[in-house]
Amino acid sequence: MSSTEQGTSSAAPAEPTTAPESAAAPEVPESFYYVHGKDKVVHKVSAGALQHSALIHGMISNLGYTEEQAKANPFPFENIDGDILQMVVDWCNQHKGKPTPPEDTNLPKQKEKLFDLVLAVNYLEIKELLTYCCKQVAMMVKGKSPEEIREIWMIPTDAEDEAAEKEAKKRAGKEAAGETAAAAGDAK
Amino acid sequence: MIFLGPVFAFWQFTGRNNLTRKKSKQAIPLLKLPQLVLLDCIENLDVLEIIILSLLSKRAKSIAKLIRWNHLDIRLKFGECAQICLRFSTNPGVEWIIDYIKKTEYPYFRSIPVGPKVYRHLVPKDNGNSIEDIKKMIEHICEVFRSPICEIDIFDESLIEWLINFQPTIRYVSIENNLVLSIRKLDRIFNSLKVTEHFQWRSIATSLRNSKSTDCENFHITEPIPFSSISISNSYWLTLPSILDATNSVICLYDSKLTSNDINTILKQWQQGIKLRNLEFLQIETSITEDLDSFAIEVVKDLDWTESGGNDGRPMTM
Repeated sequence: MSSTEQGTSSAAPAEPTTAPESAAAPEVPESFYYVHGKDKVVHKVSAGALQHSALIHGMISNLGYTEEQAKANPFPFENIDGDILQMVVDWCNQHKGKPTPPEDTNLPKQKEKLFDLVLAVNYLEIKELLTYCCKQVAMMVKGKSPEEIREIWMIPTDAEDEAAEKEAKKRAGKEAAGETAAAAGDAK
Repeated sequence: MIFLGPVFAFWQFTGRNNLTRKKSKQAIPLLKLPQLVLLDCIENLDVLEIIILSLLSKRAKSIAKLIRWNHLDIRLKFGECAQICLRFSTNPGVEWIIDYIKKTEYPYFRSIPVGPKVYRHLVPKDNGNSIEDIKKMIEHICEVFRSPICEIDIFDESLIEWLINFQPTIRYVSIENNLVLSIRKLDRIFNSLKVTEHFQWRSIATSLRNSKSTDCENFHITEPIPFSSISISNSYWLTLPSILDATNSVICLYDSKLTSNDINTILKQWQQGIKLRNLEFLQIETSITEDLDSFAIEVVKDLDWTESGGNDGRPMTM
């Protein structure tokens, strides 16, 4: 299990606390890396746990950091909320070096976080967790009526889609006109 | 009232806020997910859920269509009510059924396990015109799952023209016995539909059989039915020439008015290879008014035949 520590900034992260060692500690010392989300809270995660994320695994392989360098340069994920990153880190730690069971009870159940979790997991390329999250999304509408499905998944009606499309076109037109005017001003 | 008014207003305000918050907590904007993730989510739905989702909006439908679903077996059946029966060929253990029955409870979901199979039922909203709803639903399912209709029980005349326009080639067609058809409609079926596996006519319309009009009294078909395998109930209207000129591989006739002499002619021509060259199986059920032995003798007269030892004449040993 890894611990999480409150940090203050991505440039100068606070000293993270070390994770409590398990009773059967591996003989070879494990390397750790550091990640933080939008809230700048730095999470210390073992390389084994980070294997789940294809994105971070690729970054580690390419950078070849030493432990000191890794500590000084936590991987910044500014587009991921701190609590969501915490969930992902916890899941990676719980499944370190283990295949994911078909029914994973360790997945966070809060539906209000599911959307952000799916986006984060997709960004971090954690394939097994993404598969499980997608199943959870599908489970939300089991036995529901069309009206309920529309509400749960926030599916806009055709009229709403058309209105949104018109609005987007109008906005794009205005932006294009603004750019043309600015370019003309520059030319003068 | 003056005192309670603001309290009630406050309760309403806070209550409504709680409700709104609860609703938003349970909801996620599915269509805002990245496309590949969105498709992963949709792939976890079952057939009925995919259909419901794809009916919610044009955008939802176009997304559901992006997935390469396995071939879906689509059948329109008519028993106690009209049913659209759906099954993946890769998973024959589960069948999804959309029932068109008037029910007060909506939507009505039910799973019925029968032996190793599970039947999952859904009753859609009754919009007052189930035939049109069925046509639209089938067109929708065919489009989303990119699969043709496999079988259809025609229980309403309007389905014939719709089928000819929507999918003129189909594997199984059955004309239901409650259907009243004109001769023109029959011609339309035989000329414009292509039934590749089996065509079943449960009963000729009573209006044709009992009508006093000359047109219907003399209702007979002299042209062969152009489908490979046919099974006709109340087949009195199928004449000897139409059978002899047939190119069918399977013919099953029930309540036939063919005489023993007619049947003998058919068998002779078939055995000699003059007619019915594609025929592999023939079954004729007729009511015999004369002596059974003399009828049987007449049927096999001048034929090279062997007596069946049971098992429909098929060999019992190697």
